Amino acid sequence: MSLQNLLQDWSRYRRGREEGGFHNYEHMWGMSIDLNLCIGCNACSVACYAENNLAVVGKDKYEKHQAMHWMRIERYWDEPDLGEGRVSEYQQHGASFLPMNCQQCNAATCEPVCPVAATYHTPDGLNAQVYNRCIGSRYCSNNCPYRLRYFNFYSYYEDSWPEPLNLQLNPDLSVRDKGVMEKCTFCIQRIRVAKDKAQREHRVLQDGEFTTACAQTCPTSAIVFGDMLKMYDPNSTNPSSKVIELWEKHQVELGVTEQEKHNPKIRGYRVLEHLNTDPCIMFLDRVREV
Amino acid sequence: MGLKNINRRGFLKLMGWSGVGATVAGCDMPTTVTLEEGKETVTSYLVPEEYAIPGIGVWYSSTCRQCPAGCGLHGRVREGRILKLEGNPDSPINAGKLCQMGQAGLQGHYNPDRLRTPKVRKDGKLVDITWAEALDLIDQHVGASSGLNGARFAWVSDSVSGHQAMLIDNLMSALGSKNLFIHEVVNSEVARSVNQAVLGDATPRYQIGKAHAILSIGNDFLGTGDSPVHASTEYTEFRSSPRGVLGVVEPKMTLTGANADLWMAIRPGTEGVFALSVANVLATKHKMAIDMLPKAIQTAIMKRNLNEDARLTGVSGNHVIRVAKWLSSNPGRSIVMVGGTAEGQVNGYQNGVAAMVLNVMLGNVGKTIVASHEFPFPQLEHRAGGTAGLLDFVKAIDNGGLDVAFFSGANPVYTAPAALGLKDKLASIPFKVSFTQFDDETSQLADLVLPILSPMEDWATIVPKVQGEEAVISMQQPVMEPLYADTRGLGDIVLDLLKKRDGATYGNYDSYYAYLSQAFASFPANMAADGKAVTWNDALAKGVIAVKTGEKQLKAKLDQVAVALPEENAEYPLTLIPTPRLGLWDGRHANIPWLQEAPDQISKVVWDSWAEIHPNLAKQLGVETGDAIKITSAQGAIDVKVYVFKGIHPDAIAVPLGQGHKGYGRYADGRGVNPLEILDTATVDGTNELALYSTRVKVEKARNKDTLVMMGDHDVQMGRKMVSTVTPDVFELTGGEA
Repeated sequence: MSLQNLLQDWSRYRRGREEGGFHNYEHMWGMSIDLNLCIGCNACSVACYAENNLAVVGKDKYEKHQAMHWMRIERYWDEPDLGEGRVSEYQQHGASFLPMNCQQCNAATCEPVCPVAATYHTPDGLNAQVYNRCIGSRYCSNNCPYRLRYFNFYSYYEDSWPEPLNLQLNPDLSVRDKGVMEKCTFCIQRIRVAKDKAQREHRVLQDGEFTTACAQTCPTSAIVFGDMLKMYDPNSTNPSSKVIELWEKHQVELGVTEQEKHNPKIRGYRVLEHLNTDPCIMFLDRVREV
Repeated sequence: MGLKNINRRGFLKLMGWSGVGATVAGCDMPTTVTLEEGKETVTSYLVPEEYAIPGIGVWYSSTCRQCPAGCGLHGRVREGRILKLEGNPDSPINAGKLCQMGQAGLQGHYNPDRLRTPKVRKDGKLVDITWAEALDLIDQHVGASSGLNGARFAWVSDSVSGHQAMLIDNLMSALGSKNLFIHEVVNSEVARSVNQAVLGDATPRYQIGKAHAILSIGNDFLGTGDSPVHASTEYTEFRSSPRGVLGVVEPKMTLTGANADLWMAIRPGTEGVFALSVANVLATKHKMAIDMLPKAIQTAIMKRNLNEDARLTGVSGNHVIRVAKWLSSNPGRSIVMVGGTAEGQVNGYQNGVAAMVLNVMLGNVGKTIVASHEFPFPQLEHRAGGTAGLLDFVKAIDNGGLDVAFFSGANPVYTAPAALGLKDKLASIPFKVSFTQFDDETSQLADLVLPILSPMEDWATIVPKVQGEEAVISMQQPVMEPLYADTRGLGDIVLDLLKKRDGATYGNYDSYYAYLSQAFASFPANMAADGKAVTWNDALAKGVIAVKTGEKQLKAKLDQVAVALPEENAEYPLTLIPTPRLGLWDGRHANIPWLQEAPDQISKVVWDSWAEIHPNLAKQLGVETGDAIKITSAQGAIDVKVYVFKGIHPDAIAVPLGQGHKGYGRYADGRGVNPLEILDTATVDGTNELALYSTRVKVEKARNKDTLVMMGDHDVQMGRKMVSTVTPDVFELTGGEA
């Protein structure tokens, strides 16, 4: 990629935003995560370790916040307010679990700060990381409001997969080396395989043909993954995708900073969307009897 | 095949298909050459092996063995290596889903600490031995000419099912022994015996998806229940519109408790009082009929007093009233489940009966709690176990002693409370054999340590602990060639031992694989759910075989309930809860790095042990998160760091299971503590199960701030909208679509 191309792409992208969105996307991969169903069991996270060759860093490095969990379950406690300034003796509404993987922002704060364009937006709407272009400035990580970028401070391959654990490594993607930033890719290797297959068979990709590792294993099916663009075969009985239906139903739109819901009570929000990051992951409110 | 010495019925019995109405249909011999049969031949690298297609994964069906639930697997294989596991969508247990333990099955298989060669102990040291020598050595001790007295032989195993269980049974009877002890720390044996006594069915199916209100009394069905993934898939239906409501009452918040609409902390051992208190409100406030209950139980319910009970249990009367309201508006559509911390008390059995009283009152029996399937092949059925197996084993050593002991799956030296003195008692058994994938605490005391194949390399048939909509036999097939040439399958070993005992019957089978494939060639077609013949290849491709089951009806039979309160203990005021985890489980997964690095769902601690305490207790002790305390029981003491939070009763202290290993490989050793060590050996009244959650302890501060490594810097959302919460009426606005 020449510098000229880079600048052209960039200005086209900026203009796209101002003109109501960049329209030349082939796909726009997105998710819906239902916090009414998520039980915080952590299956998605371990599935991600298995699929994406994530290094196990050990206790000492974990303490220094160097864990590589592309998909992590955040757990929050909220004390029920009993009124009159009293708080409950117990966590009587349980925990709040939040699965966090890269939000694949369409106005990603990590992208413009990369000095070498190692992090960029793909025509699939993904926020991609080019490992062999990355110089490890860590500006992107510093700029990510969700803290979902993970830096290889060490050459983890040296001791994270002692033989024969290395035999488990997924050959469809690389093992990252020291000095490189990495993050959730929406299982780009699975996207690649599915797209290639559809192309070979001269057809368009169907919704549900493949999914990410986290969505596939989720025991409560809280995670729904799919294409946010209506590019499916119009002759198909399923012209849309499940994820589009969900976003529409819950009145969350891409490219909008403040969602205009005709019924503000309807569930569906994006985490920290007021920062104008335009994330591709919608969360559905957790539900509790009060 | 030359089965001259055997008639048809005997043949079916040998193959495991004897039982209700099994008759022989056509004989379908397997013809396809499979991975296992492949002979060693010289092949040019230009011609890749059948299953090796570079760049494209090949998927094999199998069964997960990480816990006894028996979820179906699809394993992705490339270039002969297993790379990724997914759930098998055809399995009615897990419907294509897997938990983190299932995902991490790969790291058990590829674990660098796996044993690679058979070893025998000579002068205290383990030295290499060949398999032939090892089997001869076993034969010297248990063979026909060994003069072994069957009563002086014991086999300690984790839960087993399918053809392995049957072969083990056959070997046990060949040896004239009844000492097969099934041992699982994470179990539901007390609840099962309550179910058996009250419903006449030990494993009824709780139809979580059909319920509109669930009250869990200590039952962590989403995390460490009988079938966590199955329960989770049903939970999706339960929480979809119209959304079901979940109340959980337990001393320490479990994964299920963390997902409750109302989580109630209860003083350990008072769960029965709570259940009857709810029954009282149902009868008095909601005028629900209790005349179907025996007089004694009616009296027990009517004499409860809400305020007095609230004082005893620590659960506020308002909460009892709220729970009763949920239940009373869903008669026949609610479930009251008991388990874990409620059943593992000295009065645990009665706690279970009290919960069952609620189910009977609410008319749930036969509606949301339905009978288990009448499984047609009793020889293959799941053999569940608990701690009774461990206690019986110790008793067998004490009463007259043992000459030979086999261990497979279970690691009793790690899981036995120190007060049982198992470690010393094992020394009195002259010959101990451990069939194991890993060196563990039990193997270290064994005389013969035999490395077995991992579940990714071995054949088996698995009957799930709790069946789903359909009863199935789940197939376990090797998804890759064994990593180590010198390891053998447990089925093969048992078959070899049987051959030595009864060559005429078992001599025809070269291997466990040959035995299994022949068994399926004779599978009685009329016993398949769809009435079609089951072929070996179809069974392997699909991964599960649905079998025809008999109808059963549940009929509740209660006579009395006697809720007792735990004894006061001034010296040891607190109750220790050794918490099982969906992750390290009972400690068997502590050698899996992914699971060590996966934060605990509740505390978010990694790679370590911790003690959960309530802020009130912390204040009393003068400690905060990260400080270390010393927990002392009458049996010993452990030193552990604390995590302070409001998800625990102030009278309880919870220490998770799984850590504190000494000799279980590089990832497990030297981390944290094992709370099982300091448990009392009191049993649950009316059963032979250890009262796991009833040990009384005292605590004192040990040290200031130590490192407690956990995920995340903040426990609260700091006012940001990270997790937004709404009430169910808002949820129903969109039909609750998930």
